Order: sequence, then structure tokens, then C-alpha cells
Amino acid sequence: MITQRLALSCLFSALLLLQGCASWQVNQAASSLTTAGPRATLARLEQIQTSDRDRAQFLLNTGVLKLYLGDWVGSRQDLEQAKSIMSSMQAVSVTENFAAMTANETLRTYDGTPTDQVLVHVMLALGYLMSGDLDGARVEMLQSNVTMKQVADEDSTLGQLASARFLAGLIYEMNGEMDDALISYRRAYAIMSDRGETIPQALQTSLLNLTKRQGFKKEYEEFSGRFGRQAELPAKDEGEWFLIYFDGVVSNKTDTRLSVYDAEVETMVSVVMPHYAPSTYRPRSLTLVGEQRQSSGIVENLEVRVREDLDTERAKILAAATVRAVAKYKMVQEAQSKNDFSGILMNIATVASEQADVRSWNMLPASVQVARIKSKLDQPVSLAELARTLPSQSEFTSRRKAVVLVSSLNQELYVWPPLPQPEPAVPVVEDMTAVEENPAQGEPDATP
Amino acid sequence: MKHWILIFAAVFLSACATSVERVASDSAIDLSGAWNDTDSRLVAEEMIQDALSRPWIAEFSGRTGKRPAVIVGTVRNLSHEHINVKTFVADMERALVNSGRVDFVASRDERGEVRDERIDQDLNASEGTRNAAGQELGADFMLKGQINTIIDAEGKEQVRYYQVDLTMISMADNRKVWLGQKKIKKYVKNAKLRY
Repeated sequence: MITQRLALSCLFSALLLLQGCASWQVNQAASSLTTAGPRATLARLEQIQTSDRDRAQFLLNTGVLKLYLGDWVGSRQDLEQAKSIMSSMQAVSVTENFAAMTANETLRTYDGTPTDQVLVHVMLALGYLMSGDLDGARVEMLQSNVTMKQVADEDSTLGQLASARFLAGLIYEMNGEMDDALISYRRAYAIMSDRGETIPQALQTSLLNLTKRQGFKKEYEEFSGRFGRQAELPAKDEGEWFLIYFDGVVSNKTDTRLSVYDAEVETMVSVVMPHYAPSTYRPRSLTLVGEQRQSSGIVENLEVRVREDLDTERAKILAAATVRAVAKYKMVQEAQSKNDFSGILMNIATVASEQADVRSWNMLPASVQVARIKSKLDQPVSLAELARTLPSQSEFTSRRKAVVLVSSLNQELYVWPPLPQPEPAVPVVEDMTAVEENPAQGEPDATP
Repeated sequence: MKHWILIFAAVFLSACATSVERVASDSAIDLSGAWNDTDSRLVAEEMIQDALSRPWIAEFSGRTGKRPAVIVGTVRNLSHEHINVKTFVADMERALVNSGRVDFVASRDERGEVRDERIDQDLNASEGTRNAAGQELGADFMLKGQINTIIDAEGKEQVRYYQVDLTMISMADNRKVWLGQKKIKKYVKNAKLRY
């Protein structure tokens, strides 16, 4: 009977180790995202077998990778599924709690941190926006508002994302809903002020422009005094450019194991806690150059947000780990009372099964940065660090507003409204001999 | 003991099986509290009944001696959910056309394909079956609208309020000849516990 129980314990521990293996593989893929790039990482991720419990984390990661790659439809499908799973997992699971209390925390279904739950709307809204569905993007921003209200806590800014508020403001502005846009920008400002963060110039411009435009004279003067600058409302022959820049990759969770050997009863007790190593992230900005020049500023430092989320959960995780350690200690004691060998095996099984939950949405950018400039409608703009020039707004839109999305991971540049497609190259029939001599010249994509 | 294990296994396995049951298309099944087919149907029913009972059709027919031609414009989704507005607009189109009192003309999106086909006919169809360009029926009215929501959420409880507004606008003089409205309110309580 004891042998059977031990065999079951060992089997169970082996299964848990396999489960941990998938998490480890995902974390390894996230660690190499900066060097491997989103496409190779997506391919690698799709090779990893994940359980249903990790499905939301998997979809969040594939969704954001597809967003970096400009696959708006694929990104939306994955993120919508992840959102749906996270939403349905908000109720407390009896079985998962029991499993987490007796084995480890990885037996809970991944339901996202407060930051994940709000940020999924941000990423979805960007996908809708870049594919031209402004109403779809607006829906996501309304949903993010509801989510932020639900996770709100009077004493903290947990789950309150300035990036979500800023993007909502941008989308409302695109829709011509200036009152709602101003409310969203005000909320972004309030969140960042509460956290003592530097207000990016893009948010300053948004607040100044909208308070002036809407005729809130007193508020405008307050903002103007605080920021030391004036509104920059575009003239009739000017349009505005918004830059959303994803910089770097957010940190992975790791674990810290605390093991104590009680020599008196010959038992090893182990407590494992997830944690983030101190951040080594050094933000790099991107400069939008037109009539004006502006470097992108951080509207959301996700390196900080993810650590705040974990810190909030720490007490709960530690309490669960302590209860688990006591339960496992009792199990080892009981096994030892039968015979020493089974006690040793049970002890190995309980220590091996103790794992920290190191799952997270770990393919997010380290920071979300924004810039906002005005430029003449017939003037091209450029991104200084990338040495890339974009055509003037008069060449591709009459909206007088354009959004540029860039990730530092692949430096691909996506613009909405979409840029005009280049004319297909017409093969030059007369000069065939020259093409034969140097075939590269005949390829439309060949760079000179 | 063995019996209990067998019973538990049977219950556990039955929970894993997929089950499908045919239900009437007009039966109300609410799963998440989000906008669903029942809401779409309720909106369509209300709008159709209201649109057909108001004087704008009779007034136009009496004045011009013909049925009003309607084109579907933009029905904007300004709600908190990704709602497919085409379902109740299609229901409305069907009911109004089948009433024999209103004509619908192809929308902006649909027209392109029809015109391409007409150009193709011009090249490839026999003369007797060819449809000439420039013979399209111009719309007399445009149907526009929007869906708005107000969500009040606290913990696991939500009140979801939907308001659908549709407007029929005269193409001749921008008069709004019919305003339809449907309000739906739901109280949603999400489960606190799950298996």
C-alpha cells in the first residue's frame, strides 16, 4: 500500500516537473526574444506543448508577437481568446485551490495579473486601430475602462494603466470625440502623477491641445504653467503624427528556493517563491522628426508594473507556500513512521513538487513609449534612429492624423491609415541584356 | 469503496463529454450576459414593427406614387462589445422588403461587386441578357444608426444597458422621417466559484 502511494507521489512529482519544463521553455524563448526576433520566437513558441492551464499565457504571448509582426487578424484572434479565458477564470476554483495548497501554484489556471487584464485590451485596440477598425478599437478601450474599474483599489494604482488611458484618448480623438479624449488624457495624467512618473511630452501636448481647444481656460493655464509650454494646435495646413513605440522585452519571473533541513526528524522543508531580479532595463527612445522633433517618452514602464503586481500578490503566495510546507512536512512524517526509505522517497517527492509559479506575459515590451508632433500636410516625417522616412500625410490620408507603430524587436514600421502601395515594378524589355549580365538589377526588391 | 470510485469516475467522465442539443432559433439562452442572438432579434422585431407602423412610408408613397427606396448607411457600434450589427439590419431589410412597401438598394460595399459584374456583362454577356450601366435605382432614404451601452460593474455583478437608435433620413432634404429606438437592460451576476 505504501509502495503504491509512493509510486503515485513520484509519478505526480514527475508530471509536475514536466509541467514546469513547459514554463521553463516559454521563459527561455522570452529571454532570447531580443536576439531571435518575434518571428523565430513565435515559431519556437508554437513548438512548445502547453497545458490548458497555461493556454491564456500562451495566447497572450503569441498574440503580442503577431502584433509585432503586423499580423493584425492573428493577433486579435489569440488575444481575444486569451481575454475570454482570463475573464472566465475570475471565479475561484475549488479544485485548483486544493491542488495549489497541496502541490504547487502552477496547478492554477493562468488568469493574468491586473496589468495583463488591462493590457490585453490595449494590445487588442492597437490591432483594431492598425487594421482600420476604429470602432473595434473603441470597444476595447471601453472594456479596458470597465476592467480598470473592477481591479481598482482606493489605496493604490494597481491595474490602472496610463497607456490604456492615453490610447483611449488617441482613439477618441481619431473619432472626433474630444470631450471623451480629454477625460482619458486627464486620467492618464492622474495615474502618472500619483506614481510620481515623468509626464511624456506627447501626453503634455494632448492635455494642452485639448483643454485649449475645448475652451477650459483655467485648466489650460494650470497645465501650461506646470509643463512650462504652450498648446501646439495644428494649423489648417498641418496634420498630426502619433508614435507608439514598444521598447525592449519585459523581464521573466525566476524563483527563489528556501530549503531547511530538520536534522532531528531528517526532513527537508522547501519553500519556493517567484520573484523578479532587479531590472537592468535601459530605455531607448525613438525620435519623430517633422516640422517639430520629439523623442518618445515612457507612458508605461512595464518593468515596474509587473514587479508591482507580484509584490501585491507576495503575501498571498507566501501564506499558501507556508500552508503547503506544513502539509508536505506532515506527509513526510507519516511516511517516515512506516519506514525510513518511504520517508526519504516522500521527502524527495514533496521537495521536487514544490515549484514557484513563474508564468507571466513575458513577451511584452519593457516599456510603451509615445510621441506626438504636428507637421505640414505635404511634409514627410522621419524616424531619426531608424533612418526611415514616411511620406507626407497629403499622399495617403485626408484625416490629418496618422499613427505609427514600431517595436524595437524587429524595427518594422506600421502606419495607419495605410501608406500607398508602391507601384509594381514593370520589367524593362528593351534592356534584357543588362539584366542577364547582372540579375540582381532585375529584381524589384533589390536594393541599389 | 470501489463503488464510490466507479461512480466518481462516471461523473467525471460524463463532465468531459461534448454534448450538442438542437434548440429553437428563437429560444433565449443567456450564457455570459453579453449581447447575443436574442438581443439582436428583439431589436429587429421592435424596429420592424415600429418602422412599418409609422407614417413615413404612406406619406412618401402618397406624394410620389412609388415605394420608398432605402439604402443602409453606417450603423456604428459605440458599445462596450464587438457587436455584429449586420444581423438585425439584415432582419429589418428582409421584413421591410417582404412587406412589399419598401425597396432596398445595394449598400456602398455591395454596389462595387454588382458594378464589376455589369462591366463584365458588357464584355461577355449576350446582348439580350446584358444589363446596361446607368440604370440603378437611387435611394430616397438612408438608414443610419448606432448602438450605445452603459455598463455599471461592481465585483462580480454588472448592469448592462444597451440602447439601439436607428434613423431614416430623407436623401432629398436631410429630414429625419423615422426614429427607432430599442432599450435592453440586463443584470448579470458572475459565478464566484467554479469547479
